[in-house]
Amino acid sequence: MNKTVSIIITLGLVIALGIVFFGGSSKPQEGENVVGGKESVEIRDGVQYITIDAKGGYSPKVSTAQGGIPTKLIVKTNGTFDCSASLVVRSVGFQKILQPTGETEIDLGVPKSGEPLVGVCGMGMYSFWVNFS
Amino acid sequence: MKTYVYHITGTHCASCKILIEDVLGEQELVKKAQVNLKKETIEIETESEQTPEEIAVILTSKIKSNGYTVSVEKIIKEKENDGVIWKAIPIGLLFLALFFFLQKSGILNLGIGGQTTPITSFIIGLIASVSSCLAIVGGLVLSLSAKISEDNISDTKTFLLFHIGRLVSFAVLGGVLGVVGNAIGINFTFTSILGIIASLVMLFLGLNLVGVFAKNKIALPSGIFNFFRRVEHKTFAPLLVGFGTFFLPCGFTQSMQVTALGSGSFFSGFFIMFAFALGTLPMLLLLSFGSASFAHSRYAPLFFKSAGVVVIGLGLFALLAGLAGLGIINPLFNI
Repeated sequence: MNKTVSIIITLGLVIALGIVFFGGSSKPQEGENVVGGKESVEIRDGVQYITIDAKGGYSPKVSTAQGGIPTKLIVKTNGTFDCSASLVVRSVGFQKILQPTGETEIDLGVPKSGEPLVGVCGMGMYSFWVNFS
Repeated sequence: MKTYVYHITGTHCASCKILIEDVLGEQELVKKAQVNLKKETIEIETESEQTPEEIAVILTSKIKSNGYTVSVEKIIKEKENDGVIWKAIPIGLLFLALFFFLQKSGILNLGIGGQTTPITSFIIGLIASVSSCLAIVGGLVLSLSAKISEDNISDTKTFLLFHIGRLVSFAVLGGVLGVVGNAIGINFTFTSILGIIASLVMLFLGLNLVGVFAKNKIALPSGIFNFFRRVEHKTFAPLLVGFGTFFLPCGFTQSMQVTALGSGSFFSGFFIMFAFALGTLPMLLLLSFGSASFAHSRYAPLFFKSAGVVVIGLGLFALLAGLAGLGIINPLFNI
């Protein structure tokens, strides 16, 4: 193989890797604040519920919610055995390996506006963000 | 009394000199042995009447297991032409791109619902072995395998011990989890730190395979390297590393650990974890024995360098992900 050809292929592969790593979501139909076709953030009886689906990553990856009101995070697993089942939310000190199927409720207290919440899986390759406006 | 000067290969480090001189100095036919690391030669004083060639064969047989060879003629290393690295980089990157693309595609997020039986955990093991867990466990296996093959240590035995250690520890620890019903080994910070150590080992071995350290011959401080060399030959080390993979951060392993935890009895936990480890076995066997067979073929230089590129990529991924998992840096990517 010629050196120049090799450099060109290398550059192409680096770009491909870049797209894989930093490119858009593989689930384009799930935009912000939408999970399984439904609103992921809702307020019931003065409590804000943010729903995140955990399976092969977290969905939605970015949610926007209101700050300053009592908030709970609901993480849904459904046959989840991959890394997204081992959830870490550092800011509230939550670390747990979720049951493969079920719902986990995490009390976020009263989040302040402008301080985003970050959840990652134990190995760190899946994450989600919740922005509080 | 005669003095012969032989060429010697495999001298990685300063402590190699001490080791070789020690071993050969104990031989009856050797009066004195002195290694010159710079020239890669060894000077032997002997009263033996055998030909220099015969003596070289005898000496080699004493230190072959440590990865050294004594010869009359200088063994011409596979010419380290720069061309190899230019082939190795795209090959390595291609594997990395395919691997991460596969993760991103979501093909592997198969739904497995219902009760976890040993059969389902076997299937989960199969999936786990090609999932992102491969980045850590597989990367570690690949880097260690390639390194062991490169050092010409009896690789088959080492690999078998590693895999046996892995299977047994998964089964037994799974059983223990079932009985104790308590979280051993699933402390997040502990597994994350272990993962970061594994990724650093991978990065180091990867750079080594690519040949970054080849020029100055300094791989590790000689004391540490010597320790590793001695440990490598013991049965214990590969078993221990196999055992350690139980605690490496891998979502699938952790899920199975929780399942074993909830199973409530030694035998159900035992079988769940054993079946899971068995499921991951084919891929890992392929990695270790596949790399060994490549390592002994004429594509060896290309293989080592390509494997090095793959391992560096996986190591970087595991390191960044591990740091994000610990909350030290913000998550950089979503696979």
